[in-house]
Amino acid sequence: MLEIRDLHATVADKPILKGLNLTVNPGEVHAIMGPNGSGKSTLANVLAGRDNYEITGGEALFEGKSLADMEPEERAQAGLFLAFQYPVEIPGVSNMEFLKAALESVRGAQGKEEWDSVTLLRQARAACKQVNLDASFLKRGVNEGFSGGEKKRNEIMQMLLMEPKLALLDETDSGLDIDALQVVAKGVNSLRSPERGIVLVTHYQRLLDYIVPDFVHVLSNGQIIKSGGKELALELEQKGYGWLTGEEESA
Amino acid sequence: MTVSANDLALALKTQALASARRLGGEGDALAALEATRFPERKTERWKYTSVQALADGHLNAVAAGDLRQPLPALSESVVTINNGELVTSSLPDGVTLHHNAPAVAGLETPFAVYNSAVARAVVLEVAANTRIEQPIHVQIQAASDAPAHCNPRVIVKLNNGAEATVIEHYHGEGQALTNAVTALITADNAHLTHYRLQGEAASTLHIGTLIIDQQGISQVDSYQLMTGNRLRRNDVHALVGKSGAELTMKGIFVVRDKSHVDNQLCVEHRVPDCQSDQNFKGLAGENGKAVFNGRIHIHEGAKGTNAELSNKNLLLNVGAEINTKPELEIYNDDVKCAHGTTVGQLDATQQFYLQSRGIPAAEAKRMLSLGFVNELLMALPHETVAEWARPWLEAELTHARPAGEGAA
Ligand SMILES: Nc1ncnc2c1ncn2[C@@H]1O[C@H](COP(=O)(O)OP(=O)(O)O)[C@@H](O)[C@H]1O
Ligand SMILES: [Mg+2]
Repeated sequence: MLEIRDLHATVADKPILKGLNLTVNPGEVHAIMGPNGSGKSTLANVLAGRDNYEITGGEALFEGKSLADMEPEERAQAGLFLAFQYPVEIPGVSNMEFLKAALESVRGAQGKEEWDSVTLLRQARAACKQVNLDASFLKRGVNEGFSGGEKKRNEIMQMLLMEPKLALLDETDSGLDIDALQVVAKGVNSLRSPERGIVLVTHYQRLLDYIVPDFVHVLSNGQIIKSGGKELALELEQKGYGWLTGEEESA
Repeated sequence: MTVSANDLALALKTQALASARRLGGEGDALAALEATRFPERKTERWKYTSVQALADGHLNAVAAGDLRQPLPALSESVVTINNGELVTSSLPDGVTLHHNAPAVAGLETPFAVYNSAVARAVVLEVAANTRIEQPIHVQIQAASDAPAHCNPRVIVKLNNGAEATVIEHYHGEGQALTNAVTALITADNAHLTHYRLQGEAASTLHIGTLIIDQQGISQVDSYQLMTGNRLRRNDVHALVGKSGAELTMKGIFVVRDKSHVDNQLCVEHRVPDCQSDQNFKGLAGENGKAVFNGRIHIHEGAKGTNAELSNKNLLLNVGAEINTKPELEIYNDDVKCAHGTTVGQLDATQQFYLQSRGIPAAEAKRMLSLGFVNELLMALPHETVAEWARPWLEAELTHARPAGEGAA
């Protein structure tokens, strides 16, 4: 469902991705690991269509269609979801009206039945409960004054409601304590299905104890330099990234 | 037809004087009009607002058109003024409507001076120590297919210990110019909640002065919501006149398409130990143009004054323009005065976040714009007004209104 071939991309005109290849099929869970600054978030943002993140070579196809030709909202409507590493605060726009607008658009585009406001509220409350977020968060401004962990759980809550075909999670584990990590992992695991692809971007292998990936890739300097099964994550945990990248690194 | 600003100033004065004589203006009020000058090219207070639209001759005729879409009543208590004339009123016990108008202090524009010379004021007087539960909905409407004007004048007077809510609500159609004067006068222990709703059609013009004259230790909370139109000039002059008086003003203005709003506010502290707090937010899209000039004038004797002013603005696109300027005149050291003005743009990261969840770009912009003023919408204390305000704002933010169409 996701086909990335020789992808080159710049951020604010600076080359970051330098020939990246990745294929994700329905039902698969991929983990992308790599040192800080290797381009993991850049990849996620390029796929989601953020301004200033420009594809300069190669291609990224989602269900056969070139993502480069689609607006960010069209990508979401097509079933792509990115859980952000740093979700932005939007004071004045309530979480609930935000979800209403998002779900109306995405469900409408996917030909799914429209949810009336009662159904929407019920679904949203259930999703909150699933990630241990009090329902009062629905009334607050989007991410406004949320703690780091609450923001991450709010992302997963949205993902549960949107039911994407392909979910990209950018460092959703960072800044979470062990309880929150398990909550998030449970949420993600509940979405695992033969039709759905999941890409976990993470710096640490900790998350992968709870969401066991089918494939692990190492991203370094804008390229995937090694791919393997879940055991690769454990190897990275022990050895760090240095043995692959040929660089000293401290993280 | 374009005429030079100075020729137009002379022409407007001639027209205003002729009209005043026709309408029976006399005495000091007429003399004041004879002595006034209409805005010339170099008139500082009219720097950002051209009255060129009035070259069409609005002052030559009094509006007499029929309203196609009159306002719905927002309350059981309603006063209706059409084309400057009182039409109907339905008021609760404790509120008297009469025409025995007190002199209004603080009027400055030549248009207000003209209004003083010709208008028959509608005075709404709230009896002492009376609490009026129902808001009083004052509908001030105007309609004219050809350029014409009207001169509504409303004076709200709260006697000692009176408490009331007044919704001053304008509606205009066609090419009407509403040349309005409103005065709010409060005695000791009075509490007035005031709304000024201005959503007239884009083709209409509005030149209005609002006077807030706190003669007593009183509280006035004023909420001002306005849409730009062909020409909107909004002079607000507050006289916080007795120690212990408190004033809050909150407002939202929206200019879309080619519309225009010029806000000239002046809060004057003349006596010690009063408070004023102003919070206005502006939104401008397309080639809309808005001005906000917020003056705080603290006189030498007004020690212990606490005055605040905030005006934040959002430009929705390149081409829109908002000029904002706080103007402080402070003549003693024992005051607290905070002020801040900003002009910003939509946050690209926020917009991307919404779009990444499937929300189309235009809708995302609308949501962020509404979010920008949400705190002010939430602050509206009356449900009836809030229910009017939210759809009004949503409509304003959804589409630019082509000039020459639309209703309140
Ligand atoms: N908005 C930006 N402007 C300029 N450079 C950026 C921007 N975002 C990221 N970069 C740079 O791109 C590189 C990759 O960053 P990123 O994709 O965030 O790495 P990772 O997520 O793997 O830690 C880094 O060198 C970073 O400094
Ligand atoms: Mg990152």
